[in-house]
Amino acid sequence: MPDNDQHIIADLKDENKRNLAFHMLVKTYQERLYWHIRKIVLNHDDADDVLQNTFMKVWRNIDTFREESSLFTWLYRIATNESITFLNSKKRKSLLPLNEESEYLLENLASDPYFEGDKIQLKLQEAIVRLPEKQRLVFNMKYFDEMKYDDMAEILDTSVGALKASYHHAVKKVEEFLKNND
Amino acid sequence: MDEMRNNAPKLSEIKKENPFGTPDQYFDDFSARLHTRMAAEAQSSAPQKSRIFQLLKPALGLAASFAVVVMLVYVPLRLFMPKEINQVAQTSDTSDAGFLNIIEKIDEESFVALLNDTESEDEFTNDELALYVSANFSDYELYENLTNK
Repeated sequence: MPDNDQHIIADLKDENKRNLAFHMLVKTYQERLYWHIRKIVLNHDDADDVLQNTFMKVWRNIDTFREESSLFTWLYRIATNESITFLNSKKRKSLLPLNEESEYLLENLASDPYFEGDKIQLKLQEAIVRLPEKQRLVFNMKYFDEMKYDDMAEILDTSVGALKASYHHAVKKVEEFLKNND
Repeated sequence: MDEMRNNAPKLSEIKKENPFGTPDQYFDDFSARLHTRMAAEAQSSAPQKSRIFQLLKPALGLAASFAVVVMLVYVPLRLFMPKEINQVAQTSDTSDAGFLNIIEKIDEESFVALLNDTESEDEFTNDELALYVSANFSDYELYENLTNK
């Protein structure tokens, strides 16, 4: 665990230093968590909501944090769960069938003024949103963030073997989509 | 990387870059906005308790005044009246119960015989009457009674 994380965890357990330590935690992880969330929900406003929800949950559950996992994986796990919960609640509210989640996400992406990618990037995102949820998470974490399988296994609570298989399938499906929509 | 180029040539052609952007100074302001939201949520959860109290206040006031009235009426009554009331109740209860017990214990034949005995007590023979009069009244008293009539 990085020294800075150990420092933050120690201060979070101290009532007198808790507020300052939480501020440090937010400053340290806000960008990394934001990009992780943004790749799942795609839209900036949604990502902003989910990031706030994530830190609120972290604040409320600081006492439940066990140092068995690193602070980084604990935060990523909360952010991932919050993102999925957010998408599920949107799906329920808009009464979307399960297979139309990708359409909703694409519309969300197209209407987002903060999407700065070109046509090919848009097509890549289109391919990614069509993946099943788990494969989509694995693809984003491996392809864009180049995260280690061990860390991903801890965050997603899945074996390394299953993650490698998921990534392999995801890459094949994305390639297939790019070929067919050239 | 070579493996990717072989397995997914189209994907490997795409430049790996972040296509997403954020508003200016988004990350500089985020912490402040988060703290504002946390403070607002902490505040909104605190007045909820007092709002519940405000809603219940009239009902609680009514219940309290009812309790006071009951205390003012019931407690003095309980302190000064109960002995007499209880005694009367107990006495009547006991006498009724005792009477019923006696009646229940007597079988039907004995009860009729008792009634007949009571009737027979009212009838006196002449000899009994003469004996009673001579034992309780003097000759002078008897003469006086007879002359007064």
